[in-house]
Amino acid sequence: MNTLSETIETGPDANLIVPQENEGAFREQQFEDTVGDVTHPNPRISCREVDVYYDHGAVHAIKNVTLDIGTGEVLAMIGPSGCGKSTILRCLNRMNDSIDGCQVSGSIRLDELDIYDKNLDVVLLRAQIGMVFQKPNPFPKSIYDNVAYGPKIHGLAKDKTDLDEIVQTSLERAALWEEVKDRLGQPGTGLSGGQQQRLCIARAIAVSPEVILMDEPCSALDPIATAKVEELIDELRQQYTIAIVTHSMQQAARVSQRTAYFHLGHLVEVNTTDKVFTNPQHHLTEAYITGRFG
Amino acid sequence: METIGTSHTVHRFDYELNEIAKLVDKMGALAVEQLRRAVKSLKKEDPTRAHKVINRDRKLNDLDVEADEKIIQLIAKRAPMASDLRQIITLGKVVTDLERTGDEARKIAKLCVRIYESDHHIPSEHILRDIYSMSKYVNQMLKLAMDAFSNLNVQQAFGVLLMDEELEEQFDATLRHLSTFVMQDSRNVGHFVDIVLGIRALERFGGHAKNIAGHVIFLATAHDVRHLDADEIQSLLNIEDSP
Repeated sequence: MNTLSETIETGPDANLIVPQENEGAFREQQFEDTVGDVTHPNPRISCREVDVYYDHGAVHAIKNVTLDIGTGEVLAMIGPSGCGKSTILRCLNRMNDSIDGCQVSGSIRLDELDIYDKNLDVVLLRAQIGMVFQKPNPFPKSIYDNVAYGPKIHGLAKDKTDLDEIVQTSLERAALWEEVKDRLGQPGTGLSGGQQQRLCIARAIAVSPEVILMDEPCSALDPIATAKVEELIDELRQQYTIAIVTHSMQQAARVSQRTAYFHLGHLVEVNTTDKVFTNPQHHLTEAYITGRFG
Repeated sequence: METIGTSHTVHRFDYELNEIAKLVDKMGALAVEQLRRAVKSLKKEDPTRAHKVINRDRKLNDLDVEADEKIIQLIAKRAPMASDLRQIITLGKVVTDLERTGDEARKIAKLCVRIYESDHHIPSEHILRDIYSMSKYVNQMLKLAMDAFSNLNVQQAFGVLLMDEELEEQFDATLRHLSTFVMQDSRNVGHFVDIVLGIRALERFGGHAKNIAGHVIFLATAHDVRHLDADEIQSLLNIEDSP
């Protein structure tokens, strides 16, 4: 009979143990279906049976992923490096188009719009589905121009007054206005890391997107800047649909309503964030979020 | 190749969890021993033994504080998730229940002191017999609950919950039984209240064992069963009837 301490050593769930000799069979069997509900009652983005290959088919990066991202929700995508979470995120606004040899199959829709329609204007798509990257990447222009650039090229402002208003509203929504309102003419690159990231968020929302994709938006930020961006994500959720890739489990737990766990290109589990972080249903999710991958 | 291990990538996390688990094991064994010794002091009519039990309760209190400190440190440092989170929260609750079982055992030792260091009429062996049988029962409940905790055995934990229902009936029957002794011989009134409080302490001791069993079920299944009755738990968890 085990003592309590022995039980802790071996873990409460015997399923966590991968029998080495059967590992191949185990891997085949464990990904049969995604655990949890992949659909959303009010989807904004719908992925159906999406496969992604790199190197002209040599690397199978995403394997048969079906997933909805709901209106007004923050969906967190988590998983170990190389699991495909950034790949699927980048598929959502066709960022992978620029990668030579990348092939995407299956269907991805923004409401009724087929994102992979050959006749689709990708520039317009990216205005509807904005993106914020790991490293803040403001244009080498003034703070004002960083935000005004998108609305200008998309013709969203009638005149200068209109543009000023868009810039101010976007900076306010990105919780940056108070900090920069007196120096809008200064270069965006002169701001602190956290401010630059919020400037990039302001730039993304200036073109009135429907969806914002965030690829590890806080990994280059200090804890205070991170807290500000997280607070912002929560506020933005009222108006936008957000998908966020993060390596910080705490962050996923704090900002999202649903969490998707990816592993080796498979979508292993999707569940409410509350459930994933207290009682995940798949042992791989459990092993990952409790830090048991070795 | 990436493999899925049973221990944390950060081995220190396992070590820290283990240290807390060891403390809890120790507290469980000490609580059982405290009640056994308290009852023995009564049987032997030996207040000196009872005083030792009373003093020894401090050890359980110290372990309680030590375990709580380690639990707080682990939560602060490791931010546990999923089963780790349930485990650490459960450990904290079990520690609290174990500390309280120690308090109940101390009450039995105090009963011994009050009876055998006072000038009152010493109650008959018959009156104390209920305390002996009930203490054996609740100590068994605690042992089983701690065993279930060690092995994450939901069936066994459920068995302890059923034992608690039986204990409640036993408690009521004992109170009725005691009243008849008082009615038969008014000299028994002197210690009636003390003995009722002793019986009550044992009933609470069993109650803490039952709580621990509930924590085991939460830890193993993530279902909070504290305020459900046995039938509801049985159908919720698909537990078979005990043989």
